[in-house]
Amino acid sequence: MGVIVRRLEEDDVVENFDCKDEALNNYLKKHAWSNQQKISIGVTYVVVDELACKTVLGYFTLATSAIPRDSFPKKHVRGLPAYHLPLILLARLAVDHRFEGKGLGRLLLREAFRISVSVSEQVGCRCIITDAYRHKVAWYAKYGFIPLEGGGEDKPTQRMFLDIRTLKAALKA
Amino acid sequence: MPATVTKRAQRKSARKPKFQADLAPVEDRIVRSLKEELQLSSNSDFMAEAVALFRWAVAERKRGHKIVSESTTGEREVLVLPRLERVAPEAVLPYVNITWNEKELENLMTLALAEPAQPTEALVRAMRG
Repeated sequence: MGVIVRRLEEDDVVENFDCKDEALNNYLKKHAWSNQQKISIGVTYVVVDELACKTVLGYFTLATSAIPRDSFPKKHVRGLPAYHLPLILLARLAVDHRFEGKGLGRLLLREAFRISVSVSEQVGCRCIITDAYRHKVAWYAKYGFIPLEGGGEDKPTQRMFLDIRTLKAALKA
Repeated sequence: MPATVTKRAQRKSARKPKFQADLAPVEDRIVRSLKEELQLSSNSDFMAEAVALFRWAVAERKRGHKIVSESTTGEREVLVLPRLERVAPEAVLPYVNITWNEKELENLMTLALAEPAQPTEALVRAMRG
């Protein structure tokens, strides 16, 4: 199956998308386009079959964020430059369950990484952050994400960190 | 400097870089067919034309322009090439606020200030793929 990853377009077919997670399905169907084009709070990239290039098989959403310097614990602030810490948020990533096991998740993650490296070269960013479902933590860890402890075991997601320098090293390896 | 050394140095600087590519049979057929259609006799000419076209496309996307094909009846199709999309200015992402607690920030800071982790094998493979 030949697939391509590109930005979400208005006439993409998302109605039948089903990753078995209502929140992720709903985001793609109801919010992804307006969040991208109208209120600009996230850009969604989709993977589509080359031969049916309007039907979305999987997607991810990226945004940038920053942590204000003064919100860090005092002991860490000393010695830091006087700037916020810029980062990229991998807000969502999902694959239609009918296309699981074909490497689409890995393909989407790779594209998210490549965009992140490119963005880090254009506007600067220090790391990628994602809130992973707990049953997906091992999958993200495989690609180098490190769990940030302290988020609370009761939460359905685990916040995870990946250093942009690690990604750049992977590109050179 | 002796004359022979100068000539050798000049020859070296004038040497053109070579480009070699492994093509699948189907790609080879496509290249041959394109060369014929475009009346290009050599691979070098083909390469020069392809580079010029690609260079133009990259420059256009960098300026935020879309590359459109328009039929005689006015139907338009936008070229979407994932690699080209990477240079588009709209690839710069929007900004959102994230809520953090103190413990997460402390962990984040420890990681951000430390030497970066070595890429995992899966990450290296994914980035190569």
